[in-house]
Amino acid sequence: MRRRPLPLPASAAGIAAIWLVLLCVPWLTASEYWLDTGIAIATFAVLSTGLNLIYGYAGLLSFAQVAFFGLGGYGAALLVTRLGWSFWLALPAAAIIATWAGLLIGYSSLRLSRHAFAIVSLSFALLCGIVARDWVALTRGSMGIPGLSLPGFDAPAHMYRLTVTVAVILLLGFHVLLSSRLGRALQAIKLNEPLAQSQGIDPLRYKLLAISVSAAASGVMGALFVFHLTIVDPSVFDFYYTETMLIMVILGGAGSFWGVIAASAVFSIVPDLLRFSSDLRLTLYGLVLVAAMLLFPGGFAGMLRQRSLLRWKTRL
Amino acid sequence: MADTYLLQLLLNGLVIGVIYALIAMGLSLIFGLLGIVNFAHGEFYMLGAMLSFFAVTDLHLGYWTTILAVTLVAGCVGVFFYHLFLSSLRAADFERSILLTLGISMVLQNGGIYLWTVTPRIVPTPYSYAAVTLGGMQLPVLRLFTLGIATAAFLALYLLLSHTLVGKAMRGLSQSSDAAAMVGIDHRSVARLAVIIGIALSGLAGATLAPVYSVQPTMGSAFVFKAFAIVIIGGLGNIAGAAITAIMLGILESLIGGFFPLTLADSAGFIAMIVVLLFKPEGLFGRGVRV
Amino acid sequence: MKSLLVAVLAASLFATAAMADPPPIHIGSTLPLTGNLAFFGQHSRWGTELAVAEANAAGGVLGRKIVVDYQDNQCNPAVGVSSVTRMLSDKTDVALLDGVCSSVILAIMPVVQRAQVPLVVANGSATAIADASGVGGNIWTFKVNPSDASLVEALVGWLQTQGKADGIGFLGEDTDFGRAGVQAFEQALGKRGLKLASVEYYQQGTADFTTVLTKVQRAAPKSLALYSVGADFQNLIRQYFSMGLTIPLTGRLLTDQIPKEILASGRLNGATAVQPYTAEIDLPANHAFVTAFQKMHDAPPNLLSYEAYETTRVLLDAIKRSGTAEPAAIREALTKTKLKSILGAEIEFDNHNLAHNNAVIVMIKDGKVQVVGLSKT
Repeated sequence: MRRRPLPLPASAAGIAAIWLVLLCVPWLTASEYWLDTGIAIATFAVLSTGLNLIYGYAGLLSFAQVAFFGLGGYGAALLVTRLGWSFWLALPAAAIIATWAGLLIGYSSLRLSRHAFAIVSLSFALLCGIVARDWVALTRGSMGIPGLSLPGFDAPAHMYRLTVTVAVILLLGFHVLLSSRLGRALQAIKLNEPLAQSQGIDPLRYKLLAISVSAAASGVMGALFVFHLTIVDPSVFDFYYTETMLIMVILGGAGSFWGVIAASAVFSIVPDLLRFSSDLRLTLYGLVLVAAMLLFPGGFAGMLRQRSLLRWKTRL
Repeated sequence: MADTYLLQLLLNGLVIGVIYALIAMGLSLIFGLLGIVNFAHGEFYMLGAMLSFFAVTDLHLGYWTTILAVTLVAGCVGVFFYHLFLSSLRAADFERSILLTLGISMVLQNGGIYLWTVTPRIVPTPYSYAAVTLGGMQLPVLRLFTLGIATAAFLALYLLLSHTLVGKAMRGLSQSSDAAAMVGIDHRSVARLAVIIGIALSGLAGATLAPVYSVQPTMGSAFVFKAFAIVIIGGLGNIAGAAITAIMLGILESLIGGFFPLTLADSAGFIAMIVVLLFKPEGLFGRGVRV
Repeated sequence: MKSLLVAVLAASLFATAAMADPPPIHIGSTLPLTGNLAFFGQHSRWGTELAVAEANAAGGVLGRKIVVDYQDNQCNPAVGVSSVTRMLSDKTDVALLDGVCSSVILAIMPVVQRAQVPLVVANGSATAIADASGVGGNIWTFKVNPSDASLVEALVGWLQTQGKADGIGFLGEDTDFGRAGVQAFEQALGKRGLKLASVEYYQQGTADFTTVLTKVQRAAPKSLALYSVGADFQNLIRQYFSMGLTIPLTGRLLTDQIPKEILASGRLNGATAVQPYTAEIDLPANHAFVTAFQKMHDAPPNLLSYEAYETTRVLLDAIKRSGTAEPAAIREALTKTKLKSILGAEIEFDNHNLAHNNAVIVMIKDGKVQVVGLSKT
């Protein structure tokens, strides 16, 4: 049993309301930490939703999300620092670069088995990291490209508002797509691909669309993120980001739009909440994951679904 | 001089490949049979190595005794691992296994850093710096032993899978768990055995390589991604496939690194993996637990 | 009546206790405590811990105990920025230490500038850090460890006097540390009309060096400069030894990380290296440091622990001279630093907030490490 999504105008209004509230945060706190966390939540919400689109809806486990994120970051950084482009031109360019990468991966590997696709996407992400580190003439390698500043947005509050606004727009876009034919087609493909094909749905086309959209969004957030940090270096391709995204998608409940967003908010903060023990921080984080997986196999969304199913059953 | 250079590179590559194979063997069995992605694989390898370090320095066990002891302990750990975490997973619980083993990997690696610090440790053996020379080529003794141990482990696994009843059960299970159930194969006990053997192999790899490389809690992460790629490219569950792929990867890396900048060798490995998978998505040698 | 007396007694005891313990001074430290660079972070932390323990044993600074909050940044700028903004958000930390990874340091420099809290760097290698600090730039960032360029300049100068500056091959880790090393060598050699014979990088975390060592053996440069740390360095040296290589070593050898048997074998005799520090320096202050460190952490100090130790001493000294332990006053005091390092040089900051401690040239002779030169960087 699946909950039907809210009608579009209602969710759009809901999202707009949330957006306005989020914009007010810098007035409520002068602490740069909360603004930084807000940026992290916004960024991960988009990245995880992108992964959710590919994995939760289309059923493809992909490790390439971080590659699109990093390519967007490096793309924007290079266009601004080497070619003197304005950031506002570099941002859509970053999206385009990431989309090309997505199409490349998608077109060449979508016919593969699930496992092969996962490994190809993993190898691609690792390869991006290696190239970023070793093509020193282009990327300055491990030394990174520092000094990325967005004139007029140097204050954290401004960067926060920009990132949150872009994130909200992208999430709204995802929501529209998922409530539309694309979303239903993807779910049909995930449930039973041959059947979907027999109904005239071309799985390749829809999966490719899912990957490209996801890649574009990740590229945009990547560009914004590195300008927030003022530096881009090969660590933008770290497996750490992939781990974080997987945690958010799986614990949020793959295939659940709001579940994943909620999980993004929670798990952007959890590693910091665990800083009370700086020695055991990551060990505790691992324990949290293991416990969550043993207790909530379907993620939070799955747990909620079970609960409502149970209530439904007892009512009968 | 040029002749021995190429041969030396090939020999080095063979040894590196066999090392990859030893590390990947356990993963291939668990992944192939249970469909479980074990992200903690590198950490079991690390635990095997750390245990060997303590066995040699604190308990003063000899080289061969340590390897045997650590392998047995790893097997026991496998029992716990299966019962505590894996017994509730099914092959369709792909994502749960990812997150679960990811969490376990974090706990083991960071717990290790907390308990033992990252100071690299050397496991002393009487053979640490000895080498044999074969016609102008050098081979350190410990690596020769590694070759031997890996070959022995592979042969043992081969015999188990092809000539014993339990091995047949494993192969049957990997092909179709429903059909296996119909002929009376108990999924749980076969799966448990596979996990025991898989973890024992990781422990064996750790113990064998502990004297070769420096031992510290993050030593598993360097091999984990390559191990996954090797397993998939070799064909899921195909032990021989994984072994051959591992050796080919080792030789490829060695040859490229020997003639081009080293950093190209790492990229070459991953590029080769991508290319192979694009042409043969089921892996080079096909799926299914077999030898 | 008796209960009143007891209450008064308790209250006065409590009051005296409260009066007797002034609040501690809080310092933040951001380090890679996990991941591939955990070795750097761990030793950096150990060095700071020793300096703080010594200060606290002597009664603290300005009569107050020093408390350091060590937070992991995983050598990732995003995690670094987030952990630093979090540390600074409750405004208790009066200064920050370290960072270790240059990209993290560069990312948190604007943060400390906005928060107006001094950041004292012990171990970051990028020259961009000092270039962007001090006059005309970020006045809140200070760097204590010398730049690689100056260290290698000292080494190459020395090697040239021995006629060994020619035909040097380079093997280093593929990080900003290793790349800075290559740049430094090319600069120092270029000035003398020389160049590197070959350059090879390996990925950090590589366990197996047989391929590159075989290659180096065949190329046979006159000497091999190593830029390697931690487990990688140990693996590299052990494999170098067991493969029977004899190419003389130079660069940044961590002589205290070389296994005893390899040193004793005498095969490394003639190796010449430069470091900001080595435990063998024969000065009483250093001996005291080494003994204390060994006692506290059950391991010998290396250059990372030393740099952190010295940097923490610099910071604590500045806090003392500031009189108020307020961030702005500490920053002022830092600019006026004139502290004798345990290596005998005087630490003071130039107008780019960069200190110029001594460089140490060491040589392995008769299976032992000997200091052959100390030069100002």
